[in-house]
Amino acid sequence: MKTFNVVGKNIKRNDALEKATGKAMFSTDMNIPGMLYAKVLRSPHAHALIKSIDTSQAEKIPGVKGIATWGNTPRELFNTSATMTFTVPSMEPVLDQYIFDKVVRYVGDEVAAVAAISEKVAAEALKHIKVEYELLPAVFDPLEAMKPEAPIIHECHAGKNIPAEIVKFGMGDIEKGFAESDIIFEDVFKLPIQKQAQLETQAALAQVGSDGGITVWSTTQTPHPSRMIISKIFSTPQSKIRVLNPPYVGGGFGVRIGLSAKAEPIAVALSKLTGKPVKIVYTREEDFTSSDTRHGGYVWVKLGCKNDGTFQAMELKSALNAGAYCSFSGETPGVLGAMGLAVYRMEHMSYYGHSVYTNFTPSGAMRGFGNPQAMFAIEAAVDTIAERIGMDPLELRLKNIIQVGDNWCLPYTCGSTGLAECVEKAAKVIGWERRGTLNEPGSKILRGIGMGVGTHCSNAWPFCVDYDNAIITVQQDGSILLAVGVPDIGTGTSTTLPQLAAEAIGVEMSQVNMTFGDTLTTPFDIGSHASRTLYAAGTAVVAAGNDVRKQILEYAAVVMKIALERLDITKGIIHISGSNEAESCEGSGICRSGEESMTHISVRELVYHAHLRNKQFIGIGRTIPPNSPPWHAHFYEVEVDTETGMVKVVKVAAAHDVGKAVNPMIVEGQIEGGVLMGVGYATSEEIKISAKGKPLHTSYHKYLLPTAMDAPEIHAIIVESNDPSGPYGAKGVGECGMVLSAAAIGNAVYDATGIRFNEIPLTPERVYKRLQENKK
Amino acid sequence: MNTFKLTFTLNGEVTEVLAEPSEMLVDILREKMYLTGAKKGCGKGECGACTVIMNGEAVNSCMIPAMKAMGAVVETIEGIGNKDKLHPLQESFINEGAIQCGYCTPGVIMSAKALLDKNLDPSNDEIKEAIAGNICRCTGYVKIVNAVMSASQKIKG
Amino acid sequence: MFQEYYMAESVSDALSFLNKGPGDAVIIAGGTDLLLDLHEGKKRTKSLVDITRIPELKNLSMEDGIIKIGAAVTHAQVAESELIWANAPALAMAAKKVGSLQIRNIATVVGNIINAQPAADTAVALTALGAKVTIADTSGTRDVHIDQLYEDVGKSRVDCRRELVTEVIIPAHEQNQSSYFVRLEQRKALALPMLNIAVMVSLEKGQQRFEWVRIAMAPVGPGPMRATNAERILKGTEIDDEIITKAAYEAAAQANPRDSDLRGSREYRLQVLPALVKRCIKTAVAQVVNKG
Repeated sequence: MKTFNVVGKNIKRNDALEKATGKAMFSTDMNIPGMLYAKVLRSPHAHALIKSIDTSQAEKIPGVKGIATWGNTPRELFNTSATMTFTVPSMEPVLDQYIFDKVVRYVGDEVAAVAAISEKVAAEALKHIKVEYELLPAVFDPLEAMKPEAPIIHECHAGKNIPAEIVKFGMGDIEKGFAESDIIFEDVFKLPIQKQAQLETQAALAQVGSDGGITVWSTTQTPHPSRMIISKIFSTPQSKIRVLNPPYVGGGFGVRIGLSAKAEPIAVALSKLTGKPVKIVYTREEDFTSSDTRHGGYVWVKLGCKNDGTFQAMELKSALNAGAYCSFSGETPGVLGAMGLAVYRMEHMSYYGHSVYTNFTPSGAMRGFGNPQAMFAIEAAVDTIAERIGMDPLELRLKNIIQVGDNWCLPYTCGSTGLAECVEKAAKVIGWERRGTLNEPGSKILRGIGMGVGTHCSNAWPFCVDYDNAIITVQQDGSILLAVGVPDIGTGTSTTLPQLAAEAIGVEMSQVNMTFGDTLTTPFDIGSHASRTLYAAGTAVVAAGNDVRKQILEYAAVVMKIALERLDITKGIIHISGSNEAESCEGSGICRSGEESMTHISVRELVYHAHLRNKQFIGIGRTIPPNSPPWHAHFYEVEVDTETGMVKVVKVAAAHDVGKAVNPMIVEGQIEGGVLMGVGYATSEEIKISAKGKPLHTSYHKYLLPTAMDAPEIHAIIVESNDPSGPYGAKGVGECGMVLSAAAIGNAVYDATGIRFNEIPLTPERVYKRLQENKK
Repeated sequence: MNTFKLTFTLNGEVTEVLAEPSEMLVDILREKMYLTGAKKGCGKGECGACTVIMNGEAVNSCMIPAMKAMGAVVETIEGIGNKDKLHPLQESFINEGAIQCGYCTPGVIMSAKALLDKNLDPSNDEIKEAIAGNICRCTGYVKIVNAVMSASQKIKG
Repeated sequence: MFQEYYMAESVSDALSFLNKGPGDAVIIAGGTDLLLDLHEGKKRTKSLVDITRIPELKNLSMEDGIIKIGAAVTHAQVAESELIWANAPALAMAAKKVGSLQIRNIATVVGNIINAQPAADTAVALTALGAKVTIADTSGTRDVHIDQLYEDVGKSRVDCRRELVTEVIIPAHEQNQSSYFVRLEQRKALALPMLNIAVMVSLEKGQQRFEWVRIAMAPVGPGPMRATNAERILKGTEIDDEIITKAAYEAAAQANPRDSDLRGSREYRLQVLPALVKRCIKTAVAQVVNKG
């Protein structure tokens, strides 16, 4: 196997020093001279017409510099999510939002915004804006919203309140598949609304120049698509707009793929109105009420199986809660179906899914993007079937999981799988053989172990437009500047992408620096989402690195008078392949250019040699990523307190086939964080809605994401299947830790209690109620 | 108005700054001292991103009215180490992969420092309790707890 | 939010500031609840009078079997106090459960009592412990039993615009006594309880019978509620599972929790309450037995 110098090593993150010393700059930290502060007036009603807005009193307050409403901002429809810039034809993007509209469609919807000399003055001004509303009927459940009598939230062509398309696909003959099955499981599962709850709220600072040029520092995960959306809203050429992270972003998890809710357009609109830079930082409450959530809703699964455990057919359906605006509600049901049907091999499959508008906070992208919803239902079905046919659920899964080359429903091939190895390794760590022997009779605390397996994608192609560019410019001093348009939202891309570049070129990590998350200094990239950044942008980086390497070697061959094929670059030294002369030759005689007997030369000396002869090495990588499935097996041990219904996750073994771990420490961190977010999803996190449509969980105190004291023992296990398509074998990992928690915890609680929960989170009350019913 | 001169010891230096009575320490640090290491994640004492050490105790600086800082000794992330001489906690957070998005990091490190200043031999549970008021959404806390543990070993020598 | 912030130097200083312009000022200790209420406009005031730098209010001591906790003593100080763990353990357990360490480092126990939130952890413990609070006004001081302190949700009988609680007084456990606190919570930190229960037991010689038991529960009413019927059942009886169970159900029969969208239905809380009361009583008894 190829040995690597940089890839596969636990290299310290490039951003860690700045972050550990408090120097790292985030959007919320930005401060420029003359800056104004913005605050937003939000709808208290779930659905209403705005009859009138009177801003005259607010305008009189000293320090108020501008007030934006639907009347003085662009009447240009858009979609805050990046889908409006990367929906693949023939599908059409859904454009259903204005910055401010005459109708409000959820509690928290934008009505107006004030720019003032301080947040305090802006907040005071909001109280003096008078709005007259005419209330409209509202609906909050997706199934209710499809009924003929439900209010129309937006006019839709696919069906009553159904945004975008109904997603339908499959293979084989589903009816035949079930007819041939010995055992069929069928049920419906209900999923909650989860929140990304990233630490940095949505924020933007916009500055509009006197030439109309726009600069926006923001929390976006996708600066380039974000710029496209801003360009459309404000009818300004993309080339006159710069969107950048400053450069750090306090987490993403999908909440700002595209715009950071409406932070960017509100800041730009107010900056245009006032002629000054305007900063907006969402409060935590606004972040909860008025930025995208994970889709809640319903998933139906029907799984048919032979008595010997061979899966025959699976039918999957979904109806997801889109909330009041489309955002990613066209794509999420698609990925839910695609990922759900990609785990197990069988001849007959079908999927039918869509979202439904309701009068609630819009749902959008969140880590896993429909996949956790699908797997909660599917893995319950698999465990139930295993029990009915008397088979170990682990064996049943191993018997049916997709293998390399299998025919499946995805439009790309499965080029690698380490799933069986994931199952084996994680089972060992959790102690799967203890299952069934964990409880003493009469015990009030019941223990159980459950598992789940799954897959995901490594980017969004071919579901969405998805391509990458990387530029590597070798500087005259031999240092290397990598430019990629992805941000680093915390996932370590500003470390791992330079690792790939260093490996590709053959230089030390310290020789590579990177500019990222800035539309001015980087070519177009779709951004950080879909577990894609390392895999997809990484493919472009390796291509650019190879391009540079080739240019350097070609030039070196001439200078050194050695055949190109014989030359190699290791640790920054160009040398004859196979020779052990990659040690430093700086300053030595033979290193000087032009020597007859030259056997090696540093990249540094060579590029200066080239510079003096009017030449620079510039590598370009332009790639459309292929796609490849990462695989994962999760095992959870839980305790259920039968007297209170409290579910405690005790231990987690999470094995992930990531293809190749370019930086294992970063990979582990992704898995561990995903697992805990999944534990929260399964056991405690949910935004509930009051009867009038008001979100009830709108703060870190009310919204129950896990604290350090709630975190179980987590074992992250890395499996490397060396994917043929990914950079140095790598596949996606970012979302994967989140995909299986609910599924496997549901199975563990079943193992402990004998009760199947079709709804999460497994709150003590929900669990207790069923335990009591079960006693009867 | 009632603007007053706030005098306190900030990162070892006696500091004077004009403040309003209703201003919170976090805003004084961020807006007036330009120390943006302490982050605002909620403004309500619920996330710990703004944690600083005041008179030896970890506190949410968003819940400290200016007058409570009068005469106090305040330490922020900027004061405990720099790139040339890192605090052992900063070093171990960097080395052990305990940092992802980094928004919670300064607060977590300050909570951990307040712990280690008193207890150089903390158990896993004591570490978790000390940082339970610091929400981190990225790491699952695994590497954070490990980093605090290894810093305590390092300080003990 | 407020215009003036006065750092009082003594109790009389604080009281005279309060009474300078009646109604304009309110006492602040840790302020972790008050500042949020002011910020959200739930409460209004012109001035705040901070009492946390008054030397006599920083006292945490025990003398002649009486524990005194001054109004400036924080949750963290109580939770870390060996004196409290040894002589009133339910209070230390309750104090340790509040918010997060950052909150406990600032928030005072007396503030937790005065703020009168129905689920205030330390108030529940102090109710079981039979505590009294000392209230000072310009005319002098008076002691009020904690049972008599609460009027309604969020409302205690202490008028923070006129008077000031200086300390809480707790009889220390005797050799035959102990106490315990449990909390049903949706998260291990940064969460209000769904239920919290505190129990103090006093056993007769030989440790076979209860002398008496005090059971406090919340949030099942405006303030911490005594399960008086359950206490009556246990008084003087032999310690056995059956009677403890009976008392636990009696406690639930007396409780009157509300339906909460955030923290559980009335029905659920009533159902699980007996199990928590039982755990509390049994552990408290075991603690006495372990003392020898």
